[in-house]
This record gives sequence, structure tokens and C-alpha cells, in this order.
Amino acid sequence: MTWLKLVEGYMPMQMISELAVCILVFSIINYSLKRAGMGLPKFWAGIFVWCFVNLFYLKYRIYPPIPFSVRAIYGTVSACGIFMWVSGSQQEWEEFKRPIINVLDANTGMTKFLRTALLILLPIGLWGFAYNSFLPSFDEPIELRTVHPAPPATTKVHGKTYVLQTAANPYRINPEGKYDQAYSNAHIVSQDMGRLMKDVKNPEDNPWDPNAKGYIKHVREGGEIFFQNCHFCHGDNLNGRGLWAFAFNPIPANFTDAGTIAQLQETFVFWRVAKGGIGLPGEGFPWASVMPPWEQHLTVDEIWKVIMFEYWHTGYYPRTWE
Amino acid sequence: MYGNQSYTGHFEKRIVMNESTTPTKYGGGGLGAWLLSFSLLMGGLSFTTTSHAEMAEGFAEGSRPSPPSAEQVEAGKRVYFTKCVWCHGVNGAGDGPGADRLWPRPRNFNAGTFKIRHTASGELPLIDVDLFQTVTHGLPGSAMPSWEGILTEDQRRDVLAFVTTELVKDRSWQDTEFEEFHVLQLETIQPVPPTAESVKRGSELVKEMKCIECHGLEGRGDGNAFNLKDDWGFSIQPADWHKCWNFRGSRQDAYNVKNIFRTFSTGVSGTPMPSFADNTTVEDRWHIANYVNHLCERDKDVDIAGGNVTDEIAAALVAAKPRAIDPLTDKPKVDFVIPSKFVEGELPADEHDERWNLVDRRIVAMGGQITHKPRNFVTRIDDVWIQSLYNETHISFMFRWDDRTKSVQKDSVDWEPYEVNLGDYGIEEQAPGGSLFADDPEHPESIAAKQTAYQVFNDGLAFQFPIKWQELPAPRKPRYFWGDEGFPVDIAKWTADGELKAYQGEGWDVDFEDRDDFTEQLKVVKAEWANGRWTVIITRPLKGDYEEDAYIELGKYIPINFFVWDGHNGDVGRKMAVSAFYYLVLEPPIEKETYIYPTLAAIGLVLVEGWILTRRANRRKGKV
Repeated sequence: MTWLKLVEGYMPMQMISELAVCILVFSIINYSLKRAGMGLPKFWAGIFVWCFVNLFYLKYRIYPPIPFSVRAIYGTVSACGIFMWVSGSQQEWEEFKRPIINVLDANTGMTKFLRTALLILLPIGLWGFAYNSFLPSFDEPIELRTVHPAPPATTKVHGKTYVLQTAANPYRINPEGKYDQAYSNAHIVSQDMGRLMKDVKNPEDNPWDPNAKGYIKHVREGGEIFFQNCHFCHGDNLNGRGLWAFAFNPIPANFTDAGTIAQLQETFVFWRVAKGGIGLPGEGFPWASVMPPWEQHLTVDEIWKVIMFEYWHTGYYPRTWE
Repeated sequence: MYGNQSYTGHFEKRIVMNESTTPTKYGGGGLGAWLLSFSLLMGGLSFTTTSHAEMAEGFAEGSRPSPPSAEQVEAGKRVYFTKCVWCHGVNGAGDGPGADRLWPRPRNFNAGTFKIRHTASGELPLIDVDLFQTVTHGLPGSAMPSWEGILTEDQRRDVLAFVTTELVKDRSWQDTEFEEFHVLQLETIQPVPPTAESVKRGSELVKEMKCIECHGLEGRGDGNAFNLKDDWGFSIQPADWHKCWNFRGSRQDAYNVKNIFRTFSTGVSGTPMPSFADNTTVEDRWHIANYVNHLCERDKDVDIAGGNVTDEIAAALVAAKPRAIDPLTDKPKVDFVIPSKFVEGELPADEHDERWNLVDRRIVAMGGQITHKPRNFVTRIDDVWIQSLYNETHISFMFRWDDRTKSVQKDSVDWEPYEVNLGDYGIEEQAPGGSLFADDPEHPESIAAKQTAYQVFNDGLAFQFPIKWQELPAPRKPRYFWGDEGFPVDIAKWTADGELKAYQGEGWDVDFEDRDDFTEQLKVVKAEWANGRWTVIITRPLKGDYEEDAYIELGKYIPINFFVWDGHNGDVGRKMAVSAFYYLVLEPPIEKETYIYPTLAAIGLVLVEGWILTRRANRRKGKV
């Protein structure tokens, strides 16, 4: 059931439309039942809708799960909405509270029984709820980490100092051998689903073409380094879901996400790759990150190539200074 | 006798093929070699010619896929050279640049040998079903990811069109002379319900069928684990039945028994795992599948007594509930808080103590140490189960993890136990290779050769706490990798030679310092390797010296992380598997307030109820 999958990036829209469709379907069914004389009373309809949204949909449908505190907010907001709906007019409000009044008055055997049961069960339920919330609970503490901390002005890699404002990727070159971001941007993968290379027959687009040279050849060299070193965590599709991605915390960056390399300058990525987790400032949790300081494993050239591969493969452009 | 029919059939077919088409270097020979060893193992194999005309139970004639269009192949080529080529290589020989640091290696498509199939043993897989599902769901336990959500359905079919026509070179789906399709009718075969009787029968059958010779008495893949080779000569390990989420054919649905039934019925081509369709009835196959499925780790850790499953054990296996699987990882959900519960009196002396049931066991996911040299690209231990209990003075940890081999170092080594940087002693990481060794599993530099020819070191386990964690401003911790300067860690390291020592770590590249006085207070209560699993119980005092040893307090989040070494994987020094930071929490006994406040609230509610009823009654009286 692929259509049931929540798709990364589309989740909020998906959620809202799913909920809207569910409510619509419910209203139509309820309306037709009403026409047939079997409609659900407002009281029960309100409770049903609230339970569906808060106890079922938000709790079980959304993944990764949303914390209880956030669900509590949604619960309150949707309760307010439902109250507005059931109290649209005096008559509707009367209709809504009739079942409650009936139980309070207890004129029939059934309501009498219900009243007695509720009088006993409610305090017991409250006791249980309060007891549970008083029990010490040991959820994982929330620690906020800065994913992209401010970079330093310069970084020294393999004995050479790089000024992040002025450094450039030496392999981002056009066929004439000049630094050319526009040229390389024209030959990254396409932006539609799958993000595939633009033309497998064109040696300017296909890094595996035997005639590939310049930029696209360096992309292949970068890719080779990526698949010998990086994919274990960052994944075969560069989406941060490698073999060991979830054994570690923080989890590896997802380069296909618009919030990572797509919004960074290439030199920032160079600094992050060269210095790794241990080179982060305190707000980036250098003690927890398993990202290697790649200067220990790769040459400067290899680092520049692998960065270029990452941009090529995800179809993003590095941000520029202007 | 023992899977003879399908195997002889397949064998002969392959010989014919090797004459008529270009054979791969290892394709036919490897299969023959293993067949030979298989026959020796089983005490003689009669080479009778039997065709698939006598179809095994549960199979039906399948249809031949129609050849893909040229456009589809061309479109698939674009997918292949963007996504797949990096591991599977330009010619699909499983020799891409990434291949040499992977184990299991990427598939070599050339011979048309595919592991996970619905088709009978030796036959090509169904493209639309088997290969499509492999691309869609990936192969867990290997580096092959799920491509669903990345490639569209059409793109996945296109790439299969390219692979099956251009890269499978020795066989063809269109070859009407040699290729037949007998398909396991998995959707229509009635499953046998997983009752205790069925599970027990399955446990008997795995012994009768000799499954346990490779998979081990308790199914942890520890039988004969180091002598198995695949068709290409690369070393391969039997599946660990206790980790169904790592079954290659689990299709992102770990506890689904049908996947096991399928693998058992059709075998795993290219590996020593045969098809059992010809000599096992459908019913018996279900019993085995049910048993294997129920061995997979669940909420309760059921002791299966070396595979001698009694009615009682079978009932306990059936009663245990599957663990929650995280859809992000397709592995059991990880909880980063490890609870420890209070017990009166002495801490447990072994794993059978009833009091372990008081506390949840937690899974700790492990990944290779790939931060500093020598990096570890292949880990054979991907998780450790942990439980903890404490009393007034001590805390006890029970670690249990699956390890196919008990590794105890025999030869003396040149380095001291506290040394961490072993680069000078030839402990190196796997070279990138870039397909250099793809054709030669025997090449001493290939990862496959090293998988069988490592010097054996000690299995081991270590965990570290920050020293004086109370003074660290949250969330600051010492570095996960043996602390850092100014932020030392308290390390307890156990090795399979029986040693448990306390060290202080001050950095990944700094040798450990001995903490002799604390070593004396650490105790290995039990350390036993049995049937592919280590059980190590360690106790330590809650409080040592505040300046040197982690001071464990109640109700606090104490950072802890773990390291494991598999001696047969060449793990030693910094080459091992590591975990992320977890938190150890000693849950304090329940306080009085926990009872008082809820009672007050309940009494308050009773009063409110009384007030509402009285008011309502008064109002009605007034109205009437």
C-alpha cells in the first residue's frame, strides 16, 4: 500500500488532506444516516470526531510519533473547535447537552445506572491518571543541537590555511579548465523524482562515460570516494540512511534534504568534512558525533571531489556568497 | 535423500550452459565445488537426472516474463549509472568502487544467480515479483537499501529491465530451451497456524533436516560458521534466526512467517542454503518456518535450552510478542534510556534469576568504528541486549549478544592491554581496493580472504561513564570515543580471556590509564559463550572514588556508551563496534507523594460531583 506511506517533505499537506477527507466522509455518512432517521446525536458525533483525530489519527498515523505535549495542544484546539460546532445555535447546544442532562437527572433505569457508574468510575479513573502522571518517568531528555553552527573564518587542512570566504572547489571547472559554477550546475542530476543523470549518452552528463572529462570525471572520482568511505552512514542515496545511520546519535546528515548542503556554501561543507564531528563548536555536540575528521583519511583533493559528487548526486547547487 | 532432485537438475543445466555460453570465472565451478562438499557432507550424492517435471509440493508452472522494450532498457541504464554502478560495477559484476569494503559483497549479476526468489532452486527469479521486491525493500543486513520513495515504480522496473537484459550475461529469461519457471504459490498455500505444537514440531524438524549444522543448535548461525563459501568463493555466514529483521528476504516485514517459508522452499541461490522443497512437505515447511519465526527476538527472552524445545518452551515462544520495529531502520526500536531497578539483597548470580524479569531488556544498536584509523567497515555484532539491576551498594549489568564464534586470543601479542593505538603493530583497516580483488576471493588483501584468515583476538565488551558527570553542564559529555582532554571517562573493559579491568580514558588516541583499585572492585559474575551467544554479567560498586570513578546516583541520567569486539572479525584495539550515547537511569523506589496527591484529587472530584448533583436537583425542584 504505497499510497498509504507518508512521504518526506509532503507530510503536513498529506496530513491535512487526509484529515479533511476523513471528516468529509464522516459528515456525508452522518448526513445520509440522518436523512434515513438514524443519525448520530451531536453529542456522540462530537466525541467520535475528537477521539478519531486525537486518540487515533495523531497517535498512530503520524511517524515519527509526536510528543504527548504537542498532542495535548492539538487535543485542546480540536475540543474548542468541536464545541464551536456543537454550539452554533441555542437549539444545537440544547441538543448537544441533552444526553448529559438526562444522565444527571436519572429519570429512567438506564440513566440511573449510568449515573451511579459514572459517579464511581470517574474518581477512580482520575486517581489512576494522576497516579500515572506522578510516577517518575524517565523519557529520553531532549537536547537541542545546532546542526549547522557558525563556521570559523579560516581552516587549516593538511598544513594549508583555507579562507572560507574566498576558497573555491578546484575541480568545479568547465571544459576550458576555468572555475565555472554555472557550467557544473548545468550538468547535475535532474530535479524530478529519482534525481537521475540528465542524459546517459552525453559524456558531459554521465560520469561513467569513457569520454567523460573535467568536471564530470571528477564527479565520478568523488563518487568512488563516497562509496568507499561515506555511504556507511550517509547512505547509498545520500539520504542519511546508511547501514549504521541509526546506531548513532546525532544521525547522519541527509544531503537530499533541502536543509543541508543545499543551503550551505561549498567551503562550509569543506570545513565540516575536513574537521568532522570532533571539530564542531560546543553547540554542535562534538562529543557525540561520529563523523570522522576526514583530513585523517582523505587528501584535500579527495575532499573537494567528494563534495562535488554530493552536489551532483543530490541535484543541488552550493550557495554562493553574493 | 536430501534435496538431490533439484540440485542434480540444476547442476546438469549449469554444465550444459557452461558449454554453450560464456561462463563466469567462478559461476559453475563454485557451485560444483560446493555441491561436491555438500555431497560429501551428506555421505554421497547420487547424480540422477530428474527434471522439474515432478514439481515439488506447493509449486506451479509460472509464465515467462515478456522481454522489455529498448526504451525501457535505455531508461534503466540511466538509473543504473546514477544509483547502482557505485557498488555493482560497470559490468554488473559486483565490483564497483564500493565493493571491496562491503561484506556481504554487492551482487554479481553476470551469472543470473539471485538469492531471494519464488522460483524453484536453480531457476531465474521472477523479475516483477522477486527482483522488484528486492529493489523496493532492499536487503537488510547488507548495504542494499530500500529504493522505495527514491525511485518511482517505473524507474525501479526500468533498472530491472537493464540489469536482466544487459548485465545478466550467462542466462536469459527468454531462453526457452533451458529456463523454466516453477513458482511457489505463496499466496494460495494455506499456512499452518503457529501453535505450540507446530513450533515444537519445527524444532524437531530443524534437527532432522540438519539445519542446525550450519545455523547452530539455537539458530544463532554459529554452526560451521567459518567454512562456508558462496558460488564465487567469498566467505558467507548462516543466518541468525534470532534477528529476523536482518533476513535478506524479510521485505521490511520482519516477523512475517511467509518470508521464511519462501526462503526455505526455494533456497538461497549461490549460497550453501539449499531448497528444501523436494524433500519436505508443505506442512513440515510451515512447522519449520513457524519455529524459526518464533525464535526471532521478542519481548521475552525465552531460553530454548540448546534447541531441545519442550511443550513448555514452545508455549512460551508462541506467547511472546514481537518487538516494535522502527520503520526508519526496519530494526527493533531503540530506546536511549536504560532503566535499572532496585532489588533487595544480593544481585543475581546468573541469567536464570527471576528478578531479571523486573526490568525491560534494551537493545543497543552497534555500528562500526569508522571515525579514526583503523576504521572497521564490517561489524559482525550489530546489537547488544542490556538489562540492569541495583541494590544498596552495587549495580549489575547483564549483556547478551549474538556472536557466531567464541574468540579467545591464543598467540601472545606485542602490545600492552592498555594500548589503544595499534597501527604500529600492523592492525590496519581494509584498503578501498576499488574492485581490485573482485575476481579473487583468495587474494590476501581482499576482504573476503580476510574474513576467514584474520588473526583471532579476544571477544570483548566495554562501557564508559563520564567521571564526575554531575559537574558537566548538560548536555556536555566526554567524547563518545574514550573521552577527551579534561573530560576523562571511567571505562570497564571485559575480554574473553576472562579479564575485567577498570581504565581511565582521556581521548581516542591516548593509551588507557589503569585504575587498579577499582579493577579489584569490578566483578565478572558470569561470562559464558553458548550456542552463538555471549552472556556476560558484570557488577560494580555504585560509588567508587569520586575523583576517579563514575559515581552512580539514583534518578539521574548518567551518560553511558558501549563497545564490542568480535575477535574472529579481527577486532582489536580501536577496531570494533561502537554505540551512541545512552542514558543509564537507576529508577528510585516509589515515594509516598505518588499515592497521596492522586487520592486528594479523587476526593476533590467526588465533592465536585456532589455539588453538581445537588445544584441540579435544587434547580429542578425550583422549576417544578
